[in-house]
Amino acid sequence: MRLRALTAGAVTAVLALSMAACGSSDSGSANPSVDAGAQFEAGTTMAKLKTAGKIKIGTKFDQPLFGLKGLDGKPAGFDVEVAKLVAAKLGLSADKIEWVESQSKFREEYIEQGKVDLVVATYTINDKRKERVSFAGPYYQAGQDLMVKKDSTVDGPEALKAANAKVCSVTGSTPAEKIKEYVDPSNIVLFDVYSKCADALRTGQVQAVTTDNVILLGLIDASKGEFKLVGKPFTTEPYGIGIKKGDTKFCQFIDDTLKAADSNGDYAKAWKDTAGKVAPEAPKLPELSACS
Amino acid sequence: MTASNTAPPMIRMESVDKFFGPLHVLKDITLQVPKGQVVVVLGPSGSGKSTLCRTINRLEPIDTGLIEVDGRPLPAEGKELANLRAEVGMVFQSFNLFAHKTILENVTLAPVKVRKLPVAEARKTAMELLERVGITNQADKYPAQLSGGQQQRAAIARALAMRPKVMLFDEPTSALDPEMVQEVLDVMTTLAGEGMTMLVVTHEMGFARKAANRVIFMSDGEVVEDSTPDEFFTAPKSGRAKDFLGKILTH
Amino acid sequence: MNVIFDNFSLYRDGFLQTLKICAFAAIGSLVLGTLIAGFRVSPVPPLRWVGTSWVNVFRNCPLTVVLFFCAFGLPEIGVNGAYFWFGVTGLVLYTSAFVCEAVRSGINSVPAGQAEAARAVGLTFTQSLSTVVLPQALRTVVPPLGSVIIAMIKNSAIVGAFGVGGDLFAVGDTLTSSRGEAVLPVLIGVVLGYLVITIPGGLALGWLERKVAIAR
Ligand SMILES: Nc1ncnc2c1ncn2[C@@H]1O[C@H](COP(=O)(O)OP(=O)(O)O)[C@@H](O)[C@H]1O
Ligand SMILES: [Mg+2]
Repeated sequence: MRLRALTAGAVTAVLALSMAACGSSDSGSANPSVDAGAQFEAGTTMAKLKTAGKIKIGTKFDQPLFGLKGLDGKPAGFDVEVAKLVAAKLGLSADKIEWVESQSKFREEYIEQGKVDLVVATYTINDKRKERVSFAGPYYQAGQDLMVKKDSTVDGPEALKAANAKVCSVTGSTPAEKIKEYVDPSNIVLFDVYSKCADALRTGQVQAVTTDNVILLGLIDASKGEFKLVGKPFTTEPYGIGIKKGDTKFCQFIDDTLKAADSNGDYAKAWKDTAGKVAPEAPKLPELSACS
Repeated sequence: MTASNTAPPMIRMESVDKFFGPLHVLKDITLQVPKGQVVVVLGPSGSGKSTLCRTINRLEPIDTGLIEVDGRPLPAEGKELANLRAEVGMVFQSFNLFAHKTILENVTLAPVKVRKLPVAEARKTAMELLERVGITNQADKYPAQLSGGQQQRAAIARALAMRPKVMLFDEPTSALDPEMVQEVLDVMTTLAGEGMTMLVVTHEMGFARKAANRVIFMSDGEVVEDSTPDEFFTAPKSGRAKDFLGKILTH
Repeated sequence: MNVIFDNFSLYRDGFLQTLKICAFAAIGSLVLGTLIAGFRVSPVPPLRWVGTSWVNVFRNCPLTVVLFFCAFGLPEIGVNGAYFWFGVTGLVLYTSAFVCEAVRSGINSVPAGQAEAARAVGLTFTQSLSTVVLPQALRTVVPPLGSVIIAMIKNSAIVGAFGVGGDLFAVGDTLTSSRGEAVLPVLIGVVLGYLVITIPGGLALGWLERKVAIAR
């Protein structure tokens, strides 16, 4: 019986995810209008990309709502839509984009080695990373939060210690490091992917899952009401667009693109078509940091 | 042999059959060995002598029939069978001394592990036994360092250390160089003289004539003749026995 | 390379965690594997059956699947516990099948006459196995067993991904993804950590092999 429940649970999770992916790729494929007449100063990254007629973009393939590869083989989500906006401004339509799966640990390597031209992959801007790459944006402000069972009384990270609660996150992630400030390391459980954390939460092996709120939203969406978001972010995670270190002109170009998209409604639409299905309230474009 | 009517025989086999797959290796064997008797089993190769020997301590299980040792049927695999085996000494053609233990350890192992004798006491008895078989000076060597004859004598000492009620010998001298055969037969003859019940599979006619009370001749899994050594060697009844003796004695 | 020195304490903790996983798993799988090998050569048919099935299941399942069943299947049937022990259990179950087969091949290399003689003097099956057969099997068993244990040490990297965490491999993950360190130097540090365990382990095995070879 239990085993059947497990299988059924897994199957529904997979179905839910793939349906979400299909759903968003359907409506999300109302691609932004391509700026065919775009002109760029010779020698810039923008000019090179426009001449090449194609662009390689790194994104997550396993991140519901932000970058999740669907059954059609194409990633879909908010990150993907933002990337399409940038490409469109370069005069490149969505079919000129080569999507490269970029797991967290390989993002800097990919940018440095030129395996991708830019990375839009729930990529938190921080000083350590800025030593190796440059960031445009931020285009979104996430925050680390907690996901708990529907009936849980945990109301923030401070409550975890008191409850001697076990918290789950992903090996090597920033949230996994951050949560050490709130709970004893022996109470931190780490997996390679968040879906395992969700399973551990369901079976009572852990009492909370922590990571960026937007990632948790995807899991909550898949849980069919079993989990809830605590809703008190305790960090700010500005998501940036990673590019080659020191490419200020490209950074500026991306920032301008973001601003334009914000004012013409493309930015809000990108959200509405993707993450907006779970969190309807569209975010405001955060204040952009200076390019360096 | 009149005494055997009241006391149970040391070995009793009743209609024993044994198969190896389709091969019928023991055919309806019925046999009794009274206490104190020395029985020599003869027969051509493949006639089932070893198998007969090995069924008596259940190294080979039988398919049908009954085997009793000292009035007790053989128990099934387990603790009780181990206890029975402790009382039935066995000497193999290839000695089978424990290769990783010294001669002394070979002799003391079972008394200590099975009989739970104190080590010192087991060693004392072991040294006496090694003295009896004439290899006290080899006590601390490993089996591979001994000659075949010495190894086989050590193996006899190992079996005797358990103070068995009966001893089974399966061609104890067949793997030995000719010059070592006699030293082993001497030990066995002495043992027979002391009244040990023995079942000996051997081709040593000299031993059979000198030490045996009785000769059993097997062929094709059957007991064909069962008589005194004198009778068997001078006037065998069956053609198969005559045939066999003819071949052996020409050597 | 500075990354290794700068994060030395992180590496050290990861190293100790890996060592801890390996120590428990090695002891567990050696004991369990030998026991199962005993089952496989036992005169009792149901035990033989259990032994054979055990090996067939755990030797033919990918380790990840075994670990998955321990870390997610056990809680599913109501067994809650520390992931460390789920992980060690999974590694022990998986490795025990390989230990069993190595030990069994060693047992088979001991001439049948040795076990027969042991039984003939009245030793029980367990006694003859433990005092006569296994000590002699050791000689042939040490080299393949060494390979099994070294494979197990490397497999411990997979255990880290099942909620155990903090092992050498996870340290590498932490440094590359959350701290944004370059992959290559970080991994060199990880490799060094494993070598510090496996190379002395290999030397110890070589020593043991020579020792049991002389004792005869
Ligand atoms: N373990 C075994 N498996 C199959 N056949 C066997 C086995 N042991 C003996 N046999 C066969 O049983 C028959 C009798 O063998 P055995 O008792 O050793 O004869 P002997 O000792 O008189 O030479 C032979 O045909 C032999 O090949
Ligand atoms: Mg024979």
